[in-house]
Amino acid sequence: MSAPARNPELVVGGFPPRRARWVEIATSADHKDLGRVLITGALGFLFIAAVELLLMRLQLAVPENTFLSPVTFNRMLSLYGATAIFLFAVPFALGFFYYVAPLQIGARGTALPRLGQIGAWLFIAGATVLYAGFLFTPTEAGVNPLAPLSEIAFLPNNGVDAWAAATGLATLGFVLVAVDLAATLRRLRAPGMAWRRLPVFSWAAAICSWLLLVIGPVMLAAITMLLIDRNFEGIFFAGDAGGSPLLWQHLSWIFFTGAYMLILIFALGAIAEIVPALVRRPLFNRGAVIGSLAAIAVVGTLAWMQNMYTAPIGIGWMYFAMIMSLALIVPFGLIFFNLIATIAGGTVKMRAPLLFAAGALVAIAVGLASEMNHSMVALGWRLQHTTDSTAATHFALVGGAVFGGFAALHWWFPKMTGRTMGETLARLSFWTMLLGTLVAFVPLMLAGAEDGQVADAYKFFGNTGVDAYNLIATIGAFILVAGIVMTLVNAILSREGGAPAGHDAWGGDSLEWFALSPPEPHNFDVLPDVRSARPMRDIREAIAHRSARAEQPAAERQPVA
Amino acid sequence: MTPHSPGTDQIDTLLWIGFIAAAILIVAVVAGLLYVLRRYRAERGAEPRQVTGGRRIQLRVGAALGAFAAVLLILSIVYTDKARETPLTGTAGLQVAHSEPLKIQATGQQWLWRYDYPNESFSYYKLVVPVDTTVELDLVSTDVVHTWDVPDLAGKRDAVPGKTNRVIFRADEEGAYDGQAATLSGQAYAAMRTEVEVVSPEEYEAFVESQKKEIQAAQDRVVGLIENGETP
Repeated sequence: MSAPARNPELVVGGFPPRRARWVEIATSADHKDLGRVLITGALGFLFIAAVELLLMRLQLAVPENTFLSPVTFNRMLSLYGATAIFLFAVPFALGFFYYVAPLQIGARGTALPRLGQIGAWLFIAGATVLYAGFLFTPTEAGVNPLAPLSEIAFLPNNGVDAWAAATGLATLGFVLVAVDLAATLRRLRAPGMAWRRLPVFSWAAAICSWLLLVIGPVMLAAITMLLIDRNFEGIFFAGDAGGSPLLWQHLSWIFFTGAYMLILIFALGAIAEIVPALVRRPLFNRGAVIGSLAAIAVVGTLAWMQNMYTAPIGIGWMYFAMIMSLALIVPFGLIFFNLIATIAGGTVKMRAPLLFAAGALVAIAVGLASEMNHSMVALGWRLQHTTDSTAATHFALVGGAVFGGFAALHWWFPKMTGRTMGETLARLSFWTMLLGTLVAFVPLMLAGAEDGQVADAYKFFGNTGVDAYNLIATIGAFILVAGIVMTLVNAILSREGGAPAGHDAWGGDSLEWFALSPPEPHNFDVLPDVRSARPMRDIREAIAHRSARAEQPAAERQPVA
Repeated sequence: MTPHSPGTDQIDTLLWIGFIAAAILIVAVVAGLLYVLRRYRAERGAEPRQVTGGRRIQLRVGAALGAFAAVLLILSIVYTDKARETPLTGTAGLQVAHSEPLKIQATGQQWLWRYDYPNESFSYYKLVVPVDTTVELDLVSTDVVHTWDVPDLAGKRDAVPGKTNRVIFRADEEGAYDGQAATLSGQAYAAMRTEVEVVSPEEYEAFVESQKKEIQAAQDRVVGLIENGETP
């Protein structure tokens, strides 16, 4: 690595592109290009998931509706689940990690770029396979295709195979990206960038990579067994032939629970970058936040049996899951406390990323608090499998992946494109989304907790007291999707037409703001000597100090590396 | 939804505890955020304090959160254990079932519940049980996973092929209680409903007897037809 540069303000022009832009991206092994592939792809699938959600909500607007046939509804439901988790939330988080973390640690690239390249394109391949299912028959086995419904005897068409291949390819891709990220964070940190100085978001990237290295292979094993069962007469999940349907539940819930935690760790990690910068205060206690994020990954994933309280497993296992779930109150609570304590005493600049971050915290708090109720065993028997459970999951994951993800999008958009996203449209989008989330999911909570309306059903019956709740929820879903579309439109418009942002758009503390916007392929011409957990702040102060002494006025120099 | 069994009484109490606990947490986060975001706006012109918190306050907050979690854990173990208790059949209940619960097998199959009574009669869709009597439902499945869910009488439980799961309840009032399967089980999942009809012990006895006779008569008729060489 290079010695500290004498003139970090030195500017080098970009390399001329040699080939067409799309060829460059399709063949690039650069973490920034691949991060944008993941993020752009994820945003596209967010839109598709939103359309699927609206179709389902239209069917559930009035009792005994016949807008969608039962089979079509089940297909929408299954595609929606796979799209929202495997094609939107996880790759969205990974895309930001992959783009930002190497910049934050002052690396000139990633350690195993080809691995990351294969990973990102495997995600695209998985997405293609899932939607190629429309050429024959998409899966109809549900969000988590529980065996034995997913077995060949009950769903003999190729839909479940397409689901398994698609999620398998995408999961394999995520694992490969995670390997590259973990290796990069381990090996390529800039001089002086000790673990204790690593930005919180890079810590989140490291934690999520390790988490994916655990849960990804578990899911891949489960999917492989499912494919063997379906295509080679296996009996892994066949209860009557000596296999165990519960095996699928254990393996898949380990993955889904871990992925849930991954999404929340991503969101909270991004928020822990945004909040300090926009209130101009250091994070109240970095160590507590980072430790809490790590605890969430471990303890949260260990709570996978929280989803199996109704299954025939021993009460001891349920208590184990409950202890793990309730223990999560401590790390999540500490993170919320530290973020609020960071804002207290600062100067709040209410820009779009902070607005979305605050919305994310509220939605996540509502989702986690109701999830806490689901984790109390006897209450789980009452609340799980109802629309209350659907709504709680949506509060937490819409809060994490959509609100938190949009906070990250608004935050790093200037770095990726050199332009800021339009503030007016961002505000409009935020308030629409917040209203939509509350109107869509609070009624479903009431319908589930009060009247026991079951989840995943293609219709509900009149005279069960849930008609109004469902109609309101449908209206809310439309409002929510309108808000989401506004941000998507905002991103598209701002890519070319946004206000130009400098290299340091927000006054952040971490090193990605030291690179150009968008960064050069090699990220940095010179690497600063990292002396604290706030290296960009140190650089800014050094430049101010030097400019004050310099004979030439500072304006003639470009404060960019 | 009103509880009509000792187990669901406990669940209902725990629901209120959980509701209050969740409300405390949500209000704390939302109120805290709203307060600091309004109080510390940049417009007030103060310089941000460049200080960070020490370890001591983290430990205190962590301990407070831990205590909160521990209280919830204890309460939910207490109420879960109560909800799992097998109640004794009451004085108004079926007297045969005094010493041990009335055992009925519930079989989930796409997309109908079948109930097998102790006297080898059976019924589909509707389960008839005597009032004030402890009933043990043994849940099995012949095809995919189904969840038996009659929220007024008991918490939900899965019927998983190859395994037996158990639901215990004691209905305290005569009447009809609606239920619905609660795990996606294929096309007609949403229509897979069930009804528990709680009747007096005498009516229950009469029901299973007449059911047995009717089933026997129907079977005899079919056997007779087959013996005569006709297709039933």
